Amino acid sequence: MNTYIALVKREVLDGKNGYIRVPLILSALTLAMVFLSSVGVGELNLVSDIDHHEVKNIGDALNLAQQEEAADLPAGITAGYWVISLLMWAAFPFVIFFSLLSALYEERRDRSILFWKSMPVDDWQEVAAKLFTIVLVTPVIFFAVAIAAQLVTALLLSIVVLFQGGPVLELWPLGLMISGWFSMFGHYILWALWALPILAWVLFVSAYASRLPIMWALITPLAVIIAEGMFLDTHVFASWLGRQLGGWQEWAFHDLGRGLDIDGPRDALNMVFGAAQWEALKFSLTSMRFWTGLVVAGGFVYGAIELRKRGT
Amino acid sequence: MTDYVIEANGLAKSYGDFQALKPSSFKVPLGRILGVIGANGAGKTTMLNAVLGLMSYEGDLSVMGNNPSSERGKLMQDVCFIADVATLPKWMKVSEVLDYVEGVHTKFDRAKAMSFLNRTKVPQDRKVRALSKGMTVQLHLAIVMSIDAKLLVLDEPTLGLDIIFRKQFYASLLEEYFDEDRTVIITTHQVEEVEHILSDVMFIRDGEIVLEADMDELTQQFIEVMVTPGKEEEAAKLNPMSKGITFGKTTCIYKNVDRDTLAALGETRRLGLADIFVATMTGEGQ
Repeated sequence: MNTYIALVKREVLDGKNGYIRVPLILSALTLAMVFLSSVGVGELNLVSDIDHHEVKNIGDALNLAQQEEAADLPAGITAGYWVISLLMWAAFPFVIFFSLLSALYEERRDRSILFWKSMPVDDWQEVAAKLFTIVLVTPVIFFAVAIAAQLVTALLLSIVVLFQGGPVLELWPLGLMISGWFSMFGHYILWALWALPILAWVLFVSAYASRLPIMWALITPLAVIIAEGMFLDTHVFASWLGRQLGGWQEWAFHDLGRGLDIDGPRDALNMVFGAAQWEALKFSLTSMRFWTGLVVAGGFVYGAIELRKRGT
Repeated sequence: MTDYVIEANGLAKSYGDFQALKPSSFKVPLGRILGVIGANGAGKTTMLNAVLGLMSYEGDLSVMGNNPSSERGKLMQDVCFIADVATLPKWMKVSEVLDYVEGVHTKFDRAKAMSFLNRTKVPQDRKVRALSKGMTVQLHLAIVMSIDAKLLVLDEPTLGLDIIFRKQFYASLLEEYFDEDRTVIITTHQVEEVEHILSDVMFIRDGEIVLEADMDELTQQFIEVMVTPGKEEEAAKLNPMSKGITFGKTTCIYKNVDRDTLAALGETRRLGLADIFVATMTGEGQ
């Protein structure tokens, strides 16, 4: 256990720019914008279908919303809080990709692999720790920053609304916020499991490439797609890639909209936080493609471990 | 329970057609300081990499009763090494390196490492990248000397360091680390600096172990004679390994020839390890 903690700690230290600084800086940037604009909000005529001249600031807007859309307001606010971390989440795939790409490559390039190998840690433990940190610890940090950003946003807006006069409590739909945190994280886990063969491929490349791992990681699948298109005139591989990287959701949620009357943010949020999670889980666990993907991922991880055993 | 740290039987390594290490069998007992000496590319690092579980090999190899190629993680509980290149992670701070080793190695004594480091100028809060070459080696040495291992392998540990530091390095290794329960293996080009601490030597040439000996016995076997003028023919009859001329006098190197017999030919002296190495590698009369 100590070993594992030390390994994960080392990985986080190694990648702290991507894992910690990137989400913090991007969140701070968004928060600053949100705060400045919320203080400065004047007439909300910018938004086309809002034409309420009595709305002079956020406080007024909240009052109005409370009167006219009371049922949808908490959901709308919760969804709005997620929008705040959009910038940070946009950076997330890049952080994951480049961290996996350098995980088993940089240590060979700077020869530190010889130091790591002088310690009583097996190669499979090293590879597992790297994969675990990048695929699981990194998103935990991102989620923690996202949650902190939501709370800080709520706090800042509360202060603003307190001064402007408005329903401060409406800014704290805590129940929805908390269930959002859990269901979003749950959804991430499912996304990561679907994407695992591709994530493991990148890790495998980082153990294999003697130089330019990014070329290997990107050009190999590209070459397969082009070759398949040229010689077989099919796109099996490309659609497989698309499906594993998120396209599966289209299938998982295929039946979801039917019979449901989605009207406004409350229904949408209820669906995303509730039914959709179960649908997605049920779909995945009964999907042959889901399990095949995991087997492929296992193959690449095994390959990465074997390559690391030989690497110096 | 075996008293051998390393037991190799037909240990070999090939890269395609090139045989980096020809089938070799050897045993290294506990409580020794073994010098592995050979030219560049002779196969020293190949042999040590096999012992350390860093590459695949052919033949049988047992290190502390473990199979290095499949049990490296377990092996490293009792084995430590410093490779021939700087390997400490440059992006880590000195204190973070110590944290890490403390976390993964149960036999690491941090207090001991700190007492080694406190005698140096290595700053704890700096990154390894910012340390001088000498400091990096001091840090690495402080770490390995604080690990209670049975076998320590040092591959060219002092390469590129100045002479004062090299002397200190070997002095502290001998005084503060080595004891009868440990074995140290050293490879180096600077033979003169290690010969006084070695208990055993192994010469490697072209992937082959050409000599394995106890230091004391070895230095007794080789005698150099500065032949008194007029006795050259007599000297030649005793089959010298090599002949040379120094200050106009013939000098001959003999292996396993009685010292009294040689004393009659001229002035005799013991050979240093470097000279023995050169004589063995280039001599004919073996």
